[in-house]
Amino acid sequence: MAPDSQLAARQRVDVVAADETAFRIKTRRFAAAVSNGWSELLKSRTATIGAFLIAILLAIVIFAQAIATHDPVKSNYRERLAPPSAEHYFGTDKFGRDIFSRVIVGGQRTVLISIAAVIFGMTIGIPIGILSGFFGGRFDKIVMRITDGFLAFPGLLLYLLIVTVAREYKLQGFWNDAILVFALGFAFWPEVARLSRSAALVEAKKEYVEAAKAIGEWRLSIAMGQILPNCVSPLIVNATVRLGFMILIIAALSFLGLGTPPPTPDWGSDLRAAQDHMEKVPLIAVFPGAAICFSVLAFNLFGDGLRDILDPRLAER
Amino acid sequence: MLIYIINRLLQLIPIVFILTIVVFCFVQALPGDIIDTLADQESSVDPEVRAALEKEFGLDQPLYVQYGYWLGDLLQGDFGNSLVTRRPVATELLERIPATIYLAGVGIGLSLIIAIPLGTIAAVRRNTPVDYAAQVTSLLGISIPEFWFALLAILLFALHLGWFPSSGYVGPGENLGLSIWYLVIPAIAIGFRQAAYTTRLTRSSMLDEINKDYVNTARSLGLPERKVVYKYTLRNALIPTVTISGLQFANLLGGTVVLETIFSWPGIGLTIYQAIQLRDYPVIQAGVLFLGFKVVVINLLVDVMYRYLNPRVGLN
Repeated sequence: MAPDSQLAARQRVDVVAADETAFRIKTRRFAAAVSNGWSELLKSRTATIGAFLIAILLAIVIFAQAIATHDPVKSNYRERLAPPSAEHYFGTDKFGRDIFSRVIVGGQRTVLISIAAVIFGMTIGIPIGILSGFFGGRFDKIVMRITDGFLAFPGLLLYLLIVTVAREYKLQGFWNDAILVFALGFAFWPEVARLSRSAALVEAKKEYVEAAKAIGEWRLSIAMGQILPNCVSPLIVNATVRLGFMILIIAALSFLGLGTPPPTPDWGSDLRAAQDHMEKVPLIAVFPGAAICFSVLAFNLFGDGLRDILDPRLAER
Repeated sequence: MLIYIINRLLQLIPIVFILTIVVFCFVQALPGDIIDTLADQESSVDPEVRAALEKEFGLDQPLYVQYGYWLGDLLQGDFGNSLVTRRPVATELLERIPATIYLAGVGIGLSLIIAIPLGTIAAVRRNTPVDYAAQVTSLLGISIPEFWFALLAILLFALHLGWFPSSGYVGPGENLGLSIWYLVIPAIAIGFRQAAYTTRLTRSSMLDEINKDYVNTARSLGLPERKVVYKYTLRNALIPTVTISGLQFANLLGGTVVLETIFSWPGIGLTIYQAIQLRDYPVIQAGVLFLGFKVVVINLLVDVMYRYLNPRVGLN
């Protein structure tokens, strides 16, 4: 064997060994992170409370039909605008429908759409951002220019337009919601792309990437298999805070009358309906809003706490 | 720096061009047209009348021709006539801008008055009950939907206490006292949410600043703590606060659609919302274009300001 190829072989062994070590350290770190995750989370009071509230919210969303005490769309004209009682915990609305049941069931659509929209936005934004940051150069430049173009679109107005178009075509139920998921997710992806690009830029310069390149691993799998997992923390924080924001937007659209049509319970449209009667029965304007506030607060608290844990510099504050 | 700004301005051109195409397409995607709306939708329009109306509004031309005319007019500052009021769209929108500026300005001013002292005290007395109270309040503030907060404010101040009117608008030029009376609840609704953001921002930039070397130097020179905090630290910590508040103000100039709708506040947001309800194409197009353009310009300002404050960030 020629000396230089021997050298090359030895170097390659070294590189593989180094990569293996790095991999082992990484997996050990990952395992430790998972097992420590919960205790780490408990260290931040903010994150703990947030996680607790999110758990309650998700439980309510999943088991809404079981928790609701009445049929949320059944009217009862003998009990219109009744005050809270043992029978109706939150009272009844102008059609005598049970407000407690409406609030419980009314969150399902809002929460599910916001989760779907965040997932949709991240599915588009993450690969674009990671690849752009990893490959750099002209590809990066072009992609980021396009991303900036999309970032320039005005948020709420864009949703208003899309949702109005959907409504004009008499889209209802699933397709109407699907369009909303599309609109919200589509407005979200540029932000995700920017964030994952800046994280990928930092990661791409690290040694484990060099090692993976040296052993000739496929570029795409380096980017998505190795860089991506190391960029996850800022993305998770961003997604959490964004979930709260999405809930606010969906509620605002419903409040403007661009959500689900009337009989279906929905926080935003129930508040809109409550406007006409809140002078006589102020409480009907309180419960749906409090439910929105609760959900957004849960995600904001969790996001804040998570940021403190993942970014120790901030945690010292 | 100048070259950078010029460069960025040139980049705006394709973005704005694409914006015009998207806005135009969106409005075309709406089914039905203004003639249906004008004819109350119920009765079908007589074909001859319809043809005449289509000709008047230029709806009989192919789409790309309509777009070409529209863009050509745009470049000359002509946004067309509102299909509902038949008045120039530009005039229509310009008339609504003062109300929006008025509300946004007072709202932001109010938020600064609340947020700067609150954020400063929270940072100076970190981890004390005062700090926790400020943090919890501001976290609540950014979690409360603004329309719900507005409804609660109407409930309390207008319906229950009867101190202020629940909606409506009087220009400050007509009757200043009455105008302020109508402004109170909307301004609180905007100010509260902004104050929540600004408090968090002031607190964290204050904490950033207070650990810096110059603060320690000032302290070691024996300057009174009050002077160190309020004369030196606060002044530096306020740079990001003021910058962001300026941007928030610019942001609010688009009108807060939801709040303007609740309070029947005749600003940009309400105008565009009503235009969407009435399918008043030219107004929707001009309004959304205005908002898109505003966002583009704000992004530019942020980038320029960021590089100005942070010379380490490259100009490329």
